[in-house]
Amino acid sequence: MLAYIARRIALALPALFGLVVLTFILSRVIPGDPAATLAGDAATPAQIADIRARYGLDRPIMEQAWVHMRQVLSGDLGNSIFSGRPVSEDIARRLPATLELTFVALLLATCLGIPLGLLAALNHNGPIDHLVRVLSVGGLAMASFWLAIMLQLQFSMEWDLLPLRGRMDVPLGLPPRVTGFLLIDSLLAGRGDMFVDAARHLVLPAVTLALPGLATIARFTRSGVLEALQKDYVLYARAAGYGRFRLATVYVLRNAITVTVTQIGLLFGALISGAVAIEAVFDWPGLGTYAVQAILSADYKALLAVTLVVGVIYAAVNVLVDVAQALIDPRVALQ
Amino acid sequence: MKMHLLRSAFLALVMLAAQPAQAQAPRPLVWGDTLPATLDPHAIFDVPSQFVLLNVYDGLYRYQGNPPRLEAWLAESHTVSADGLTWDFTLRAGVKFHDGSAMTAEDVVYSFRRLLTMNRGPSAAFTPVLTPDRVTATGPLTVRFVLSSPYSPFLTAMPLVAIVNPRAIAPNVVNNDWGAAWLAVNSAGSGAYSVLPGNYQPRISLDIQRFPDFFRGWAGNPRPVETVRARPVMETSTRVLALLRGEIDATDSYLPTDQVERVERNPRTRVARDESMRVFVIRMNNMRSPFNNRDARLCLTHAFNYEGFNNVILRGFVVRNGGPNPNNLWGNPPDLVPYAFDLTRARAHCDAARAAGVDLSRPLEIHVQNELEQTVQAAQMYQADLRRLGITLRIVPNTWPGITSSTTRSETTPDMWIHWVSTYFVDPENWVGQMYDSQFHGTWKASSWYSNPEVDRLLRAARTSLNREERQRLYADATRRVVADAPDIWVYNTVNLRGLSRRIEGYTFSPVGSGGEIRLMSLAE
Repeated sequence: MLAYIARRIALALPALFGLVVLTFILSRVIPGDPAATLAGDAATPAQIADIRARYGLDRPIMEQAWVHMRQVLSGDLGNSIFSGRPVSEDIARRLPATLELTFVALLLATCLGIPLGLLAALNHNGPIDHLVRVLSVGGLAMASFWLAIMLQLQFSMEWDLLPLRGRMDVPLGLPPRVTGFLLIDSLLAGRGDMFVDAARHLVLPAVTLALPGLATIARFTRSGVLEALQKDYVLYARAAGYGRFRLATVYVLRNAITVTVTQIGLLFGALISGAVAIEAVFDWPGLGTYAVQAILSADYKALLAVTLVVGVIYAAVNVLVDVAQALIDPRVALQ
Repeated sequence: MKMHLLRSAFLALVMLAAQPAQAQAPRPLVWGDTLPATLDPHAIFDVPSQFVLLNVYDGLYRYQGNPPRLEAWLAESHTVSADGLTWDFTLRAGVKFHDGSAMTAEDVVYSFRRLLTMNRGPSAAFTPVLTPDRVTATGPLTVRFVLSSPYSPFLTAMPLVAIVNPRAIAPNVVNNDWGAAWLAVNSAGSGAYSVLPGNYQPRISLDIQRFPDFFRGWAGNPRPVETVRARPVMETSTRVLALLRGEIDATDSYLPTDQVERVERNPRTRVARDESMRVFVIRMNNMRSPFNNRDARLCLTHAFNYEGFNNVILRGFVVRNGGPNPNNLWGNPPDLVPYAFDLTRARAHCDAARAAGVDLSRPLEIHVQNELEQTVQAAQMYQADLRRLGITLRIVPNTWPGITSSTTRSETTPDMWIHWVSTYFVDPENWVGQMYDSQFHGTWKASSWYSNPEVDRLLRAARTSLNREERQRLYADATRRVVADAPDIWVYNTVNLRGLSRRIEGYTFSPVGSGGEIRLMSLAE
């Protein structure tokens, strides 16, 4: 198993290298001169040229790429060209907000998606199956920003049940920062009121973010279970008198879920990138809003760092998924 | 067991739905306008940075009211030599920085040297005429500036420069960076509010608290706001909803016009409407065909439906502005007649241009700032009207950095693009001066690449004259000539619309800072 894990990690490294190179080239060919942005609205061409030289933006692109690679390999993501602050500090502050939202959304999607998919398969072509299929198509088709606004209007404005935006009510302040995850930090600080407030703030963005994932997981689980139900061992188990519930959860689901687990891994990456729109609508101070601000201000250092961090997370999750698959189905590791 | 689980689930739901106890406590002032990327007032100069400049820092002079008047602030008075080169400022005594130390002339010298050496942010207003060594302290409370050439807008640009406390910065200087890394997340000012240490998160949150020793005192406001929590809301719809729900007390000052009624219908909120000095303009690249032909430009000028855009799309929450200067600015000719939407005249000018050999058949491109809906709406409406003249307009989505960086050369400047010219300093130099004097070619403000030697002469004479009446006459003359040449399409002067909670009293608008000066406000009890 260890050799298998090492092999998966080794395969992820070239992908990350390619990501660094590709994103650097893309960031330097898209329109927008960071020097002009940095110089400010009233800047003269001479001032812009001075800044371009100061930040090495006037060097050949290959030279800039080499400097960037060296920086990244030494663990330095550089300074934001706009604020002058180390990008790693900005990301360290923002990442927990995105991860907290993504974890909760993924948890929701998984905990609801797998049972729904299983239920639909067990009621194949029945009313529940039809309902789940309609819901999953709807979940995939619905534009997340539209759903976000609808949820805000209904649950915050109309019913006054849940907060509209942000991670915590402003007068409440924030718990002392330990992990950056407000649910955890508020518990560590012994502040139940903060925990409840953070949880309330999570509900709407997490539900919005979870819905497409939930639909995907339900669909894959359903088709996986349907396929497994056709296998001989299921027929044998039925003949042997196994109960419907035990058969479905212990035997069928375990065999059917391999594809779903892969999807959950892929979904994690998709949820992080999908968080951009959700974070903007719910004013969630995470990596997504940071990336949007970086794009709008042509802060290519910040943008490169965000892409790299998301890429590393994506690669790490993929390795974990491969390992999980190998644990569920040992034949994977042997292959 | 089942009952226990159900009871637990129900209790959890009740807890989630319940309002936290702390929400009942009086709320601080929550300011929902945009925050700058850095707190360093010498590193950046944009609209969001004005909030920090006005509340945390002070300048030698400051704009107050609407129309804005220049008031002596940290300075008591100034004199200028007859040749317009030497400016002497006498500073106010007894001004304290947030650390309690007294402001001296050396602090002013340090601030200007820091600004000019770092060469960022608002320094561009000074670098053409001022070098760091020409700023000197001539006494404990007197400072001298010696300019390399006469520059009459010098005084009007003074409010751009924050006076910083070198004693707070000195221990935090790293690699001769003038403390830039430290000042990006801390403050060293003397303003009415000080930054709560460690609380600032770039563009996410900034908490400031009242500075009791503010040099102007607090007698004018018996119930000043003690603490302000600035929490910008990124998305427009969320910002409006947050105001209506009471989560924030103020939006930005560009409330969409279709939201005005909605905000005013809510008993807890209102909309402050103030005519600003921010001109909406459609630029044309005058160095490229067909825009290098006056008839073609007049054709395009008469083809924009000003009435429809201003009064229907923007519901009349703007004021028609017929030239580059805001209507309410001195130096703008009061007799200026704005161009009208008239497709017959437009067609006649197009025909004249074609007769002169101008090719109007190629598709024209107009670059819009995709995140700013008004620029897209204006382009779409314009596209439909130009189609009636047989002119094809292609709308190209872009961003502010994307467009401004392309305007450094005429070859890369778009055919047309849309933007506003905001109030950086209150002087015609900020508008007609920097937009149409050919010496500014290569900057985004002069991106129509307009060139007229007579206009250049008038604007340069106005820039060096110290006589206000003469300057007014010169700017008016230059403006008339520019408008007659129609190098751009000027559409409206902005009416700033800021959604406010009715808790806020004393909100006072000025085009510089857009009414973000908290020291004038109080919260209703």
